[in-house]
Amino acid sequence: MNVVASIPPGLLMIVGGLLLIAVPRRFQSVGALVISVLSLISFWMLPEQDFGNFEMFGVSLNVVRIDKYSRIFGIVFHFAAILASIYALHVRDAKQHVAAMIYAGAAIGAACAGDLVTLFVYWELTAISSVVLVWATGTETSYRAGMRYLVIQVASGVLLLSGAIFQFVQTGSVMFGNFVVPGESLSPAGTLVLLAFGIKCAFPLLHNWLQDSYPKATPTGTVFLSAFTTKLAVYSLIRGFAGYDPLITVGCVMTLFPIVFAVIENDLRRVLAYSLNNQLGFMVVGIGIGSELALNGTVAHAFCHIVYKSLLFMSMGAVLFRVGTTKATELGGLHKSMPWTTLFCVIGAASISGFPLLSGFISKSMIISAAAEEHQLWVWIVLLIASAGVMEHSGIKIPFFAFFAHDSGIRVKEAPLNMLVAMGLASIMCIGLGVAYPLLYRMLPFDVDYHPYTVTHVVTQLQLLMFAALAFVFLMKTGLYPEEKRATVLDVDWVYRRALPQLVRGLRGTIDVVDGAVRRDTTVVLRSVYHTACRTFNENGILGRTWSSSTMTFWATVLLAICLVIYYL
Amino acid sequence: MTQHDDPSWFERPANIRWMIRGLVLVCVALVLADLFYENPHPHFGKLETFFGFQAWFGFVAFVVVVFLGRILRLLISKPEDYYERRR
Repeated sequence: MNVVASIPPGLLMIVGGLLLIAVPRRFQSVGALVISVLSLISFWMLPEQDFGNFEMFGVSLNVVRIDKYSRIFGIVFHFAAILASIYALHVRDAKQHVAAMIYAGAAIGAACAGDLVTLFVYWELTAISSVVLVWATGTETSYRAGMRYLVIQVASGVLLLSGAIFQFVQTGSVMFGNFVVPGESLSPAGTLVLLAFGIKCAFPLLHNWLQDSYPKATPTGTVFLSAFTTKLAVYSLIRGFAGYDPLITVGCVMTLFPIVFAVIENDLRRVLAYSLNNQLGFMVVGIGIGSELALNGTVAHAFCHIVYKSLLFMSMGAVLFRVGTTKATELGGLHKSMPWTTLFCVIGAASISGFPLLSGFISKSMIISAAAEEHQLWVWIVLLIASAGVMEHSGIKIPFFAFFAHDSGIRVKEAPLNMLVAMGLASIMCIGLGVAYPLLYRMLPFDVDYHPYTVTHVVTQLQLLMFAALAFVFLMKTGLYPEEKRATVLDVDWVYRRALPQLVRGLRGTIDVVDGAVRRDTTVVLRSVYHTACRTFNENGILGRTWSSSTMTFWATVLLAICLVIYYL
Repeated sequence: MTQHDDPSWFERPANIRWMIRGLVLVCVALVLADLFYENPHPHFGKLETFFGFQAWFGFVAFVVVVFLGRILRLLISKPEDYYERRR
């Protein structure tokens, strides 16, 4: 027990992941699953405690701090790793398994980091390991997207480290605590760290790496990606910025704008990426509110979200695996050939929409109630609009256009058994969380005095969802619903993929023109000087021809006379 | 791979009609349900307890979101190979 209690969480997965290289290819995927399960068992046995305190270069570090927050995030990260490992059992690709294990381990380690430097190390490790999952697709597009992803993620880490250094200079400690002091603006350290977290949490304008990279990862890779990076950022925000008011506004914007993008996006995995962004918005609002109910709601929502978002990405991954695309324009009618995947996808879609008896309902409503309890009318309204929006893109669009709509004529095999098992387990968890919600509430950081299943809640939530569904039927019947179109929807990434390169190209063009003109003119001048010189100094030129001695004597005398005059002046 | 066989249960027009009718019925029932319970502690007074508030709100929000999407499409939708061209 003593040995187990002193293994830093996540280390088992990181080391085990590295050892997977030595395992025969056939057993690597099973190995990953075994490692995840063993890691969960060892993590489960850890009591709430601090250890791994030591001093290095005059800085005291605290590698492991396990409290209620780290515990619940560590547990759900393990669940995600196990589900995704089952989902990836058929994959025969060493680099993906190794990367996924290191990634999951680093996320778990980061969730238990007690100081900013340890957090930074794990933070960068998640970035470096996860990019392999994007690159594993092996296409030019995914390589480029992976590069962009890596640059942005590492930049986030650099900001975090700068923040840690500022913090150390200012306070002499790098312990990871709350940066918010009521009534004061954020310290420079706090601002840098907030920016670092904001990038990983996909704050508005910093969000686009998510929609850019996740849909380009492998079918199995996206499931891992969807679980860790952004939720690690949510966890860190709870730790560092709970109750920081501006986050409410940021969160509101985050819930709203992705739903509009999701309406017109054709790639269903990209729709899910937008929907992920929207769900993060709910959590950021909860962190901004910062009351006990709000923080409980945020943690609960992160927990439920990891499960149903994995489930949704798994179902779309299964479609991608079998059909080869997730473009809405090319899918449709798949419920005939993939009935189980359809069922699981519908469960995931209903969970994220927040139907009663499913996981989204018992967690999202906590955040909305927290906003109501603080009498934040506009926040409450925004969250309601966002809820209707979730019903649009994840509740209806994803399952409808992939599995129903008009029959595309595609007939494929049902997803592989291991994928179905993973989706089945995730579905059971979604239902389990919705029904046996006290099990989850018991793990939350604060005591819960909240009952999701009141008549008011159930009826109003159902009204919202069913009338949203009715609106969909109405728009479809009247032909007002925008038809699916093959298109690239521009987003912030346009700035660095198009505008900036264009600007640089333009600048370079201008410089070229100016440079060319200057060179040309200089050459012309030099050439004319040369020609004049040639003309003047040749045997016929004024300075080159042979002069008579008398003329020379005359001029020499004149020169001497001038010299004499100047000398005596 | 391409072959159309018999329409499934979800594709038969009669069944689709029934599903839509069912949905309408559920919606009507949900609004009527507002008559039979009282919100024990509303936070925003009249707004929250307004008859069928979340029902019409859900409907309107959904339609508005979709129409905003249509406008957005006019502004920022580009051909599929937009980023692949002119490398």
